[in-house]
Amino acid sequence: MNKKDKVVKKEKGQKVKKSEFSGEKTVAGKYYVPLTDIIETEKSLLVTMDMPGVKKDSINVKLEDSVLEVDGQIDHSPYNDLNPVYTEYNVGHFTRKFSVSNEIDTGNIDANLSDGVLTLTLPKAPEAEPRQIKVN
Amino acid sequence: MFLSSTLDTLLALQDALDVAQDTGYFEGATTNTGVYPPINIFEKGGDLVLVAELPGIKKEDLQLQVKGNSVRLAGERVINYGENISYHRIERNSSKFDRTLKLPINVEADNVKAEYREGILVISLPRAEADKPRRIAIQ
Repeated sequence: MNKKDKVVKKEKGQKVKKSEFSGEKTVAGKYYVPLTDIIETEKSLLVTMDMPGVKKDSINVKLEDSVLEVDGQIDHSPYNDLNPVYTEYNVGHFTRKFSVSNEIDTGNIDANLSDGVLTLTLPKAPEAEPRQIKVN
Repeated sequence: MFLSSTLDTLLALQDALDVAQDTGYFEGATTNTGVYPPINIFEKGGDLVLVAELPGIKKEDLQLQVKGNSVRLAGERVINYGENISYHRIERNSSKFDRTLKLPINVEADNVKAEYREGILVISLPRAEADKPRRIAIQ
């Protein structure tokens, strides 16, 4: 591969960032997989997702059969009277699923959205917390 | 005739491979590629609107400069989960960024408006008065 090819490659690659959701959806429009961090603290699991452009009332968090499904809808209407001249990313809804183990206290899951970042707090079930056993 | 149709087929295959590579298909779905932050530019009635996806950034960590036909967007995204944690998955990254874009028009710097909402930065860049096309009366 010569140098020129590399430059062209790089420029093409710059336009891709989000990965598209590959499953089937009943709603029309593009779906993307939100970038997600999952971290564990002593008391809970924290799931943090980047969902830029999603408003609080258009987010849907659902827990069914130990599968946690997050769905965020984008309002496309502000783009209606805009004419694209240069683009680096595509705009679409967000969706992602996670399996949740029974070590999670599913009744107390908390969701919070701020500045396009969704934070889910999944508290660990009390029985799943480690117990210190005293040695006699 | 035969050769050209064969070449077409091969070129189409090459294109398909290039596209597949660019989508990150061979790199795993969670890989990030490309510039940060990603920016889209729109045109609206002769003026430009710049839209950038910047989820989870504090307004005070963003810096915006406009001069002539260039826009500079700099800042830092800080992700801090505190101490005593373990990671299961990390896809979001905290990073410093600094991008300068050249626009096809000169911008009226005094009338630039920027708004940050739901993780999206929208900057309206009105075209400079001196830059607007003028109708010339024909005598």
